Amino acid sequence: MTRRETYDAIVVGSGISGGWAAKELTERGLRTLVLEAGGAVTMNDFVEHVRPHQMKYRGYGDPAAMRRDHPIQRECYACDEVGHKFFVNDNDNPYTAPADAPFRWFRGRQVGGRSITWGRQVYRWSDLDFEANAKDGHGNDWPVRYADIAPWYSHVERFIGITGAREGLSQLPDGEFLPPMEMTVVERHAREKILAAFGGERVMTIGRAAVLTQDHNGRQACHYCGPCERGCVTHSYFNSIGSTLPAAEATGRLTLRPNSVVAEVLYDPGTSRARGVRVIDAQTMQDVEYEARVVFLCASTIESVRLMLNSTSPTFPDGLGNSSGTLGRYVMDHHYGSGASGNMPGFLDKRAIGSRPNGIYIARFRNVNAEQKDFLRGYGMQGGSGRSGWGRGGGMPGYGEDFKRALIDDLGGWRLSASGWGETLPDVNNTITLDPTVKDKWGIPAAHLDVRWRENETAMDNDMQVGVAEMLEAAGCTNVRTHGSNNPPGHCIHEMGGARMSKTRDEGVLNQWNQAWDVRNLFVTDGAAMCSSACQNPSITYMAFTARAAAYAVDAMNRGEL
Amino acid sequence: MKRRDLLRAAGAATALSFLPRDAEAAWARIAAGYRAAEGLTAAQRSLVGGIADVIFPRTDTPSATDVGVTDWVDLIAAEYYDENVRAMLVAGLNAIDAQVRSRSGRPFAELDADAQREIVGGLDAPADRSTVEARTYSRLKGLVVHGYFTSQRVEREVLRVRTVYPKFDGAADHRPGAAR
Repeated sequence: MTRRETYDAIVVGSGISGGWAAKELTERGLRTLVLEAGGAVTMNDFVEHVRPHQMKYRGYGDPAAMRRDHPIQRECYACDEVGHKFFVNDNDNPYTAPADAPFRWFRGRQVGGRSITWGRQVYRWSDLDFEANAKDGHGNDWPVRYADIAPWYSHVERFIGITGAREGLSQLPDGEFLPPMEMTVVERHAREKILAAFGGERVMTIGRAAVLTQDHNGRQACHYCGPCERGCVTHSYFNSIGSTLPAAEATGRLTLRPNSVVAEVLYDPGTSRARGVRVIDAQTMQDVEYEARVVFLCASTIESVRLMLNSTSPTFPDGLGNSSGTLGRYVMDHHYGSGASGNMPGFLDKRAIGSRPNGIYIARFRNVNAEQKDFLRGYGMQGGSGRSGWGRGGGMPGYGEDFKRALIDDLGGWRLSASGWGETLPDVNNTITLDPTVKDKWGIPAAHLDVRWRENETAMDNDMQVGVAEMLEAAGCTNVRTHGSNNPPGHCIHEMGGARMSKTRDEGVLNQWNQAWDVRNLFVTDGAAMCSSACQNPSITYMAFTARAAAYAVDAMNRGEL
Repeated sequence: MKRRDLLRAAGAATALSFLPRDAEAAWARIAAGYRAAEGLTAAQRSLVGGIADVIFPRTDTPSATDVGVTDWVDLIAAEYYDENVRAMLVAGLNAIDAQVRSRSGRPFAELDADAQREIVGGLDAPADRSTVEARTYSRLKGLVVHGYFTSQRVEREVLRVRTVYPKFDGAADHRPGAAR
């Protein structure tokens, strides 16, 4: 028997985007239901301070459990011996991909979603990004420009707290920064050398991260323990369970329902509106229907598109809101990992103290002011430096007392490395569809992901290696070695597109307010809405679009338009 | 409550409450003498411990076996490695044992310290790195280093690892032997 409840707003997903939707909608007066497919998370689930000796396999991971439960998730660095709890069981949550086009879909189903395990790097996009599609003809023109979203970046940054250094770069706009984290002595040296060698074109800055360098909005400053991806007992990095969801809760208008697998958005052809959603209780397997005046899909790029594709009706036989035929198309991720590393001579009287949960960032320099290369668009670089410590011992000749003393007292030389994060061109043939035969534990058709790197991405990957290597050499590194990347799509966990925004209803799913052209009370504000991928980490852009869309939706409701 | 107190409270709560209890229980069982069915034989454990203590002998800091490195290697062989890798490790340990016995007529553990160091020296700088003995030693050395430096005693007493820091200092002075 189906039970029904009614709210002002429904938000599907409780992660980075869902938390922001919940905060903004409740603070603007709406009784809001947040539906999360996974279970609750408490402070006792956080494991960032567990030492290797407290793990059975000393951090190597439980191979049998990983093979059994996480054969895909375990490829993510954060799915480790104690952090795997924040990743889905692959057996319950299948997806498919063509045999010649592997895809890695790393997923977290729990309250907080992937905001618990994310990399925390936050970079504003610029008009170089929002105008790219229009200029080179790949993908559709964004219906917004930087000026539209800039105030919302500020709105988000002021609330969550971003550490960073102002650089005044047009392609990487500065934000509302807390004090920057410190660069190491080697990074500071490299920054100056690179600036001088490349005429100021290549700028190495400290990473901009959603980690607090001072107490902020009731949350404590970072205590530099290191593995944020395992949670944080002091809420010093941004995740939804430590900031946006508590803010929503404080309004008294939030209802959070974990273990709620949303199977479809219910469409009312009489009003041309979303009536609500059908939920399968993950524990009882019972159907529950929830109704609301507006529905926000914030379930993550692939989940939101999958949900729309699974929400069919006589009006929308190919997926809800898909009159344009673009739903599930133009899917992107960042191709990343190619770069170089080298040894930095000297500085042996210096070391880093504390585990900095952040690295260095080199702003995009290809195709910024003029077309420079045999590929379109560009890449940013992320990396860092350090001394290897005892970790070098396995490959270091020697044994006995002197060997032991060397590993204890001598930290080894400095190494400096960086890798590229590259923009992927939107391509109509990179798709999310529903697998016709495979279903998940709850009987919902699995996603079928056909996403491929193409010629432009390959050319850019090659240039990343050259780009990093020449900077390391300019910085004075020796033994510089390049490395290529074989990471398949999805591996960067920056899935974007599939329900893109557009200027006209025939070329996309959403308008400039993340509002479905065909279903006016349906909003999609996660990565699915993106028209291009830029090369910057995208999460803060999802947050900004979500806050902007929530404000628009409430204003429209107050005007009687929704 | 001051920030320092909050951090201390967070650290204490973590140490007491947030341990992965199955891991603690597993190490307690190992410490009590539990051996996995697929683990190393007594002779192989003796060889592993002997080599490990040549790599990390007891000085003013603990030796490898003082901090349970043999148990760590045994656990990895029994439960972490798949069948193929386990078979390679076991075959390699047997090959090293056979080589030692053929040269000296005795197992590694019964040799004097100089003879043990000479054997480990040959394995550490082999003329041919592709032999089964050299490859096994290389694998074992990696395990010994990891097991030694991740042990609770070495982390606390030797490296003096801290979990939390009041700030990140990217250009701290380094003096050999200084506390981490």
